[in-house]
This record gives sequence, C-alpha cells and structure tokens, in this order.
Amino acid sequence: MEGDETPLDDKAKRMRDLLSSFYAVDSSPFSPTNTTLDRAHSFNASPRYATLDTINTASFDADRYMNLLAQKSNLDSLLRRHFEMAAEIKNLDTDLQMLVYENYNKFISATDAIKRMKGNIAAMEVNMEHLLEKILCVQSKSDGVNNSLYGKRDHIEKMHRTRNLLRKVQFIYDLPTRLGKCIKSEAYADAVKLYIGAMPIFEAYGDSSFKDCKRASEQEVSVIIKILQGKVFADSESIQARAEAVKLLNQLNFPVDHLKDEVLEKLEQVLGDLNLECGEIAQFKDDSNESSKEEIIPVLSPKNSQWVSTSEFVEAVRAYKVIFPDSREQLIRLLKALILKHFEVTQRRINKRISSTDLLEMLRGIWTNVLMMDEILPEAAFPEFSLKAARVAIEHFITISFYRLLLNISEPLTKVQSRQKEGLEEEYSFEGALAASKKSVIQDSMSVLLDFRQLLEENLGLLLNLNKLIIEWVHQGFQDLFNKLDNHFRSLSGLNILAGGVTECTQSDKLLPGLVLVMAELSKFIEQIAIPRITEEIAVSFSESGARGYNSGPAFVSEEICRTFNSGSEKFLHLYIKMRMKKISAILWKRFTAPNWVKHKEPREVHMFVDLLFQELKIIGNEVKQILPQGPPHKHRHTDSNGSGSSSLSNSFNNDKMIKSTPHRTRSQLLETHLINLFKQKLEIFTKVEHTQESVYSTMVKLSLKSLHELVRLQTFNRSGFQQIQLDMQFLRSVLKETAEDEAAVNILLDEVIVAAGTRCLDPILLDSPVLDKLIQTKLAKIS
Amino acid sequence: MQGGSSGIGYGLKYQARCIADVKADTDHTSFLTGTLSLKEENEVHLIRLSSSGTELVCEGLFSHPNEIWDLASCPFDQRIFSTVFSSGESHGAAIWQIPELYGELNSPQLEKIASLDAHKSKPKCILWWPSGKHDKLVSIDEQNLYLWSLDTSRKTAQVLSQESSGILHNLSGGAWDPHDVNVVASTCESSIQFWDLRTMKKTNSIEHGHFRSLDYDSNKKHMLVTAEDESGIHIWDLRKPKIPVLELPGHAHWTWAVRCNPEYDGLIASAGTDSTVNLWFASPPRSDDLSSESFTESPLKRVDPLLHSYSDYEDSVYGLAWSFREPSLFASLSHDGRVVVESIKPYLTRK
Repeated sequence: MEGDETPLDDKAKRMRDLLSSFYAVDSSPFSPTNTTLDRAHSFNASPRYATLDTINTASFDADRYMNLLAQKSNLDSLLRRHFEMAAEIKNLDTDLQMLVYENYNKFISATDAIKRMKGNIAAMEVNMEHLLEKILCVQSKSDGVNNSLYGKRDHIEKMHRTRNLLRKVQFIYDLPTRLGKCIKSEAYADAVKLYIGAMPIFEAYGDSSFKDCKRASEQEVSVIIKILQGKVFADSESIQARAEAVKLLNQLNFPVDHLKDEVLEKLEQVLGDLNLECGEIAQFKDDSNESSKEEIIPVLSPKNSQWVSTSEFVEAVRAYKVIFPDSREQLIRLLKALILKHFEVTQRRINKRISSTDLLEMLRGIWTNVLMMDEILPEAAFPEFSLKAARVAIEHFITISFYRLLLNISEPLTKVQSRQKEGLEEEYSFEGALAASKKSVIQDSMSVLLDFRQLLEENLGLLLNLNKLIIEWVHQGFQDLFNKLDNHFRSLSGLNILAGGVTECTQSDKLLPGLVLVMAELSKFIEQIAIPRITEEIAVSFSESGARGYNSGPAFVSEEICRTFNSGSEKFLHLYIKMRMKKISAILWKRFTAPNWVKHKEPREVHMFVDLLFQELKIIGNEVKQILPQGPPHKHRHTDSNGSGSSSLSNSFNNDKMIKSTPHRTRSQLLETHLINLFKQKLEIFTKVEHTQESVYSTMVKLSLKSLHELVRLQTFNRSGFQQIQLDMQFLRSVLKETAEDEAAVNILLDEVIVAAGTRCLDPILLDSPVLDKLIQTKLAKIS
Repeated sequence: MQGGSSGIGYGLKYQARCIADVKADTDHTSFLTGTLSLKEENEVHLIRLSSSGTELVCEGLFSHPNEIWDLASCPFDQRIFSTVFSSGESHGAAIWQIPELYGELNSPQLEKIASLDAHKSKPKCILWWPSGKHDKLVSIDEQNLYLWSLDTSRKTAQVLSQESSGILHNLSGGAWDPHDVNVVASTCESSIQFWDLRTMKKTNSIEHGHFRSLDYDSNKKHMLVTAEDESGIHIWDLRKPKIPVLELPGHAHWTWAVRCNPEYDGLIASAGTDSTVNLWFASPPRSDDLSSESFTESPLKRVDPLLHSYSDYEDSVYGLAWSFREPSLFASLSHDGRVVVESIKPYLTRK
C-alpha cells in the first residue's frame, strides 16, 4: 500500500484536475484538508463515473484513457467495463437509426403540400383582371365631373375676395365713428383694439385712398390718448384703470417713458414738498422750543401730519409701481431718499435736544413706513437700509447726549471763568458753580443713562440688533466723557501747557485759583461718588457687553477713570496752592527785598505786609470754606507735645533779661532749641495735603511762614529790623491762633522765623514785652 | 547721623550755604565749602573723599574774613577759588588761593589773589570760564554783569566790560553756557536773561515764575534746567523759550538749587528748603509726543521722574554739587552746616 501511495496521489490529482476543468472550478479551494478528504472519499467510492465523464469531454484521449483503465482496473472491472461499453454503443446506434427515419417522413409530407398549392394559384388570375377594368371606369367618370365644375369655382372665389375687401373698406370708413362711439361709451380698450386693427391698412394706403379716413380716425385716437393721459395723471382714478390706461397708451405707441418720467418727476416734487413740510416742522419745533418747552401738543400734531403725508407718498409709490412695472429702480431710489429724509429730520431734531421717548417715537414712525415700503418693494431691502441709517442716528444721539452732558458739567466752571473776564469776579460764587457741576454730573448722567435704557428696552425692529452696539456706545461714551472732562479741566487750568502751547499759557495767567480748587473738588467728587454710581448703574442695565467690550473700542473702565481723576484732583489742589503761594510769595518777597534791613528804624507798628498776608489768607480761607468739605478735627490740635517746645522757646524770648545778661549763652541755647524744633517741624510742615478746608488752609499758612523763614535767612538785620520781625511775627501769632488749625506747627514756624532773624541779626536784642504787647494791641484795635 | 543714611557726612562748625566741587583736582574727589556766620570767624573747608570712599576728610581749614554767600572753584587750578561775601552792610567778591604750605602751617591764611571790587551793588555770584584755563571771569551783582580778566600769576583782575541789567531787574545768579562760551544766563527775579559776552547785550530771555537757580545741561546743547519758587523744576529748550519742555514737581517748599549731572544724561539733582535733595531722571518727550492725544495717555505711561528723595536733612538744603571726577557722587550742604556726599549708583539702574 505504501508503494502505491504516490501513484494514487497522482491519480487523485489528475482526477481532481479533470473534475475541476469539467466543472470549471478552480482547484485552489481544495487545499483545506476536510474537503480534500471528502473528495478523496468520493473518488474512491465511484471512480467509474469520473472516468465516464471524461469520455464526453472534448479533450478525450482514447489511448491514455485505455492505458489508465488498464493500469488501474483489475480484470473484473475491465470486463465489466467492456460490457457496459458494448451496451452503450448499441443503444447509441438504435437512437441514430430512429432519427434518420423521422427526417425522411417530414420531407415526404412537404413535397405533397407544394403540389397542392400549384393548382390553386391558376384559378386567381381571372378575378384580378376583372377588378382592373372597374377601376379604370371610375377614374374616367370623375375627370368628367371635374371639368364641368371648374369655371364656376373661379368665379365664386373672386366674388368672395371682393366681398372681404369691401368689408374692410367699410370698416375703415366706419372707424372714426366707431371710435367716437367707443369714446362715448368709454370703451377705450375696444377703440384701441380697433385702431390697432386698422393700422396696417393706414400704413399701406393711408397716404392715398384713405387719407380723410385716416385723419379722422387719428383725430379720434388723439382724443383717446388725451383722455388716457388724463386718466394716468388723475389721482381719482383707480390704480387698475390707470394701469390699464398706461397699457393702452403703450399699445398706441405713445411714449410712455416720457410719461413715466413726468410722473416720477411729480413724485419727486412731492417728495421735495414733503421735505419742505418737514423743514417747517423743524422750524416750528424751533419756535416752540424757544417760546416754551411745554407746547407738546402743537409739536406732536404736525409730526403726525408728517407721518400721514409720508404714508400717502408710500401709497403713491405703491400705485406707480403697479402702473409702471418697469420703474422699480427709480421708485426704490425715491423711497430711499424718503427714508434718508426722515433720518435727516431725526438727526436735526437730535441736534436740538430730544428725549429718547421722542426719538423712539420718530423711529417707530419711520419703521412703520419702512415696513410698508418693504411690502411694496421687498427686493429693495429697505429694512437693512434703514437699519444702517438708524444705527447712525442712534450713535449720533448717544454722542450728542454725552456731548451735552459734558457741556452741562463744565458750563458752571466756564461761566465762572468768563465772568471773571468780564470783571464780575465777586458776584459768582464758587460754591454755586461746584454745586451745579456736581449736580449735573450725577443727575444728568443718570438721566442720560435712563434715556439709553429706554432705547435698550424698546424692542422695535429697528433697534433690536443695535442693543449690543448701544451698550458698547454707552460704555465708550462714558469713557470718552470722563477723559474729555479731565482734559477740559486740565486745559482750563493750564496744566497741559506743555502739550497745549502758548495760548494755554496766557489763559493760565487769568485763571482763578478758586476755579482750580473747584476743579480739584469736582474731580474728587467724580472719582469718589459719581463714578461708583455710574458704574453701578451701568452694571445693572448695560452689562451684557462684558465680553464684547474688550474686543472693540475702549470700554468703560472705572478704575482707570478713577485713577485719572484722583491724580487730577491732586494736581489741581497743588496747582491751587501753587497759585495762591505765588501771590503770597510776591508780597513777602517785596517786603524783604525792598528795605535795607541793616539800617532799619525802630519798630513803631506792625508792618503793613502782615495785613496783606492776612488778607490773602482770608481769601484762601473763604474759598476753601466755600468749596472744600470740613475735615475731621486734626489730631495735632490736641497733642501739645510740639507746642511745649515752642512755648519754652518763646518764654525764653520773652525773658529778655536773660538774653541781656548772657547773650552768648542764650544764643547757643537758642540754636539748640532751634535744632530740636527743626527736626520736629520738618515732620509737621510738609504733610500730605488733604481735601479738607483745614488741611489746605493750614498748608497755606505753613508754606507762607516757611517762605518767610527762608527770606529772613537771606537778610542781615540790625536790632530794629530784628525787632520789627519779632513784632510782626508775634502779631501774626495772635491772629493766626484763631484761624489756623495746626497751631503747634504754626507756633514753631513763627518761632523759627524769629530765631532765624536772630541769627541773622548783628545785635539780637528782643523787644520789651510791654512794648510788644502795646504795639500788638494797637494793631488789633485798628483792624477790629 | 540718622539711621538708614547712606551718605557720608561731614560737619561744619557754623551754618553754611555753598559747596563747590573742586574740578581741577583730578586725583581726588574734593569739595570746597564756606560757612555763613554773621559774628563768628568764617571758615573755608577743603574736604576730600578718602580713598576708601567711606569718609570725608578735612584737607584744609582756612579762615575767611566774612560770611560766604557764594563759592566757586577754579576749573583749572585746584588751589584757586572765588567767594562772594558780606558782613553786615559791606560786601565784596574775591579770588583766593590756598597757600602752598598749608599742611605745615597751623592756621594758614588764604592768599587773596584779587579783589573784584568794581561792584556797585551787592555781588551775587562769580562764574568761571566753563572749562579749561582761561583768564575770563564773570561776576554778577544785583544790577550789573561784569566781565573780568584775571591774571593769576600777576594777581590782578580787571573789568573788561560791564552792562547794567536794567531798572527793576535784580539779578540773583547765573550760569555760563558750556556749549557756547559767549553766552551767560542770569536769573533775574521772574526772568532769565541771556547775555552775549562779546557785545554785552541781552540776546534773549525767558519769562516765567520766580527763578531761583539754573544750570546748563553739559551733555545736551540748548538745554537749561531752572528751579522756581512755586512751580518746581523746569527744563527748557533754548530754541523754544516760550514753554518749558518738561516740568518736574520740585519740592514741597522752594526748590533752591538744581544741578545737572556732568555725565549721565537727564539726571538732575535738586535741593530744596523742605530739607530734601531729590534725584530726578528727566526724559524730555520727543517733539512728536507733544500732540494732545498722547498727552491724555501719558500720565499713565510716563514713569515717575523722581528717582529718589534724600530726606535725611534737618534744615533747608542750599548747597549742591556733583563731583566732576566721580559723576555718580554729589555733595549736599544743609543750612545747619552738614555736608553729605551721596552716591546715586543704586538709582542709576532704574532709569
């Protein structure tokens, strides 16, 4: 068995190939073992069938088949095979014989049928000849009839043509009368139809045979044209009628374009008239504004009439659109012009102060009209167009509002300044200006905000998309407002001389110090009260733009503005002090540079400069009291620690005996105390200036005294000069005691001046206190 | 004296107003100061910064007959200096020379080279030729401007020319333009006058507040720094004398003196009667920044020009001088006679 293995395999393979070639199946799928086994099994079971099959194939090779058979089969199977084959061959022979017999049978019957057909055809020929004869007879008869009728037919045809012509001629001749009739019965359409029917004839023979007729009918037609034209222009006619008329005119070759132009011109004229009317309204508004603001009803009524006329106009446009379908572009242009005109009027009214309610009223009116127009000419996109215009109008409104706000706030200040120029300085109180400005900062900005909120709350189609923009504008508006205000203050105060130029410089010369103080206080107020409130208000109603604000334009940044105003108020306060000090310095400077102190005469009275100084301080006190708030009681008032040092000093001064007896020792002692004082005083004098009456006033006093001190140091005094200074200072001490808040510091400074004068004196001997007291009393009596 | 003081101190015996850098001393950082005492004997101190830079040493102490109101060191001879002085009613100005053998003498006397005694009114200050050896001197008294020719070897001084400032103009000080040696600026109450020394005529003037002190910027031509009583410190471009280029706040009280640093551009020291010395860094805005638009933003953008405020003084500071040798040092003198030399190095990085 083992030796047979390979041939068996070969055989199986070949079988497989044969099978597959027979079934046309690819041999590759047999690789899986299962199927191969099945196959192998089936081959073993019935190898005979397989070999039988190969016999029927085209590529059957008898020798090989025989060899194969002989090799593979044993004798039994070969014998069996032989018998089988012999039986099969016999069967096949029988079948073949049967087929040959059947064919022969069929051939015989066909020959019979052909024989029968031959006999039938010979009988048909006679019948056909008979038929031909009859047809020829019919043809000859029909020719005869035709010939006899021919002449008459011609005649009839001629008659018929003539009759038609006659009818047409009749029609032409009747045309004028018919047209007349049509005109009478107002059947213009029929008339036009008739005339157009006659047109070709008139064109052909109008110049010869039908001249009169043509003229007459043309006359009639011109009448018709006139009537139609009238109809087109007549507003009383229905739109359909007018459209019909235009159509007819068009059919009559009448130049409709010209007509259209005329109509549109008229429409434009109407628009112009409308404009005029609006102008009158504006004018009227002017008058009413000027006379009294309460005349709302007369203001409203022309406005209404304005809307009415607008809607009429829109109706007319609608009509014309129907009448002249090809005039859309002009109509769109006209309507756009109308919308623009409306916005122009709105703009004009915005310029003349208008509340947001009124503005909304106007916008609402415009919107209604726009919607109407949109209905008529949807392709013109009027809503978008008017949205754009509304955007501009609203922006303008907001800008104007802020501009007014700025004016309101700065007006009182400007007024003060201008009054000063007119020389009425004393009449206008800074207090009033400050209060007015403060009020306008808060109230006006609140009302402006309220106005804007109204805009936001209105859900008019025109404004719906603008909400975000409005919020942005409001933010931006406030930012700009405060920046501008700050700039305004600065330019008013001349602080931006560096940036401004020469003109500012001259202005600053005339600037009132009080005004600067007002601005300082106002800046402070804006920073501390107004801005937080406005911020709060904005946060409540204009907060949505949070994210957007960063992207576009400067949003309202309250911190930044606060910072600006904070620094502004500081600057103004310092400027005020500076300006006032300038005056005081001038007084002091004059006092100390003018006389020859070395040759000073004995003091007889308190020097006049003290009065001047005191007067200056009084003015400052007044201004400060008017404008600045009262501060809390100053802490230094109660601590007398500084005062004690000074009092010991003044005691030592008053004790002139001691000085006389031991001048040298006293002097060194003086110097010592002076040094101690200096250290303390340094801490005292140059404290930060606060926005209170007391702080500013005492700062001024301290600065004045410090200046005095410095000026004294620059001089050399004789005894009398020194005594004069002593007298003046003592007097100042008694006067300032009542007014200055920082008494200790003032005392120290006054002592300081005396000490300085002492060190600069060739012969420092103090005035006797009785004399001193007496002189001071006289002076006090004099001023009181 | 006080804790936290970075400066090096030196005490004078009496009150004093003026201090000057000894520019001609190239080996040491030295300063000259003069006291201001009405009755005591006044002194001139020659102070030198020790080589370690931690101490101020008195190199010379000379008695000066009168109280000193102004003191200037000669730019080419370290031993020569000028003073303006007064005693009671009398006043004068003189050029002095420090005696050569002063180290050996007990109480050396200053040698008076020349007395500038042509002054008709109270002399205010003496200006030396800005740099280098030159015989020209300018002195300013209340009414007049004098141009002197000084011969140090022959010890004579002659008035070359003089000019009155005009009625109602009280001159108070001045400065010699280092860029144009023909120009001297003088402060005159509410204006600054510019003089051409060749013709002795006023060429220009700036009218503004009450000028107290002025100094030319030696680094930048046309730049002048002034101190005013009320308006602080102004920096001017002399080509545009109408408005200042820059304004600095100055001091709480008067700004008494301003000095531009000889080396670092835009660095200004100012001394004030509020007992402080302030160090400023002034960066004048470029001309295109002057538009009003940028002005609105500038307060936020511009850094504080005040670099530092030295407040460790007990009296008004009148004297202020940069060291020419070491431009990062300046000496200040407060009225109580205390000299403090400070280094600005810690603040240089900030600018």
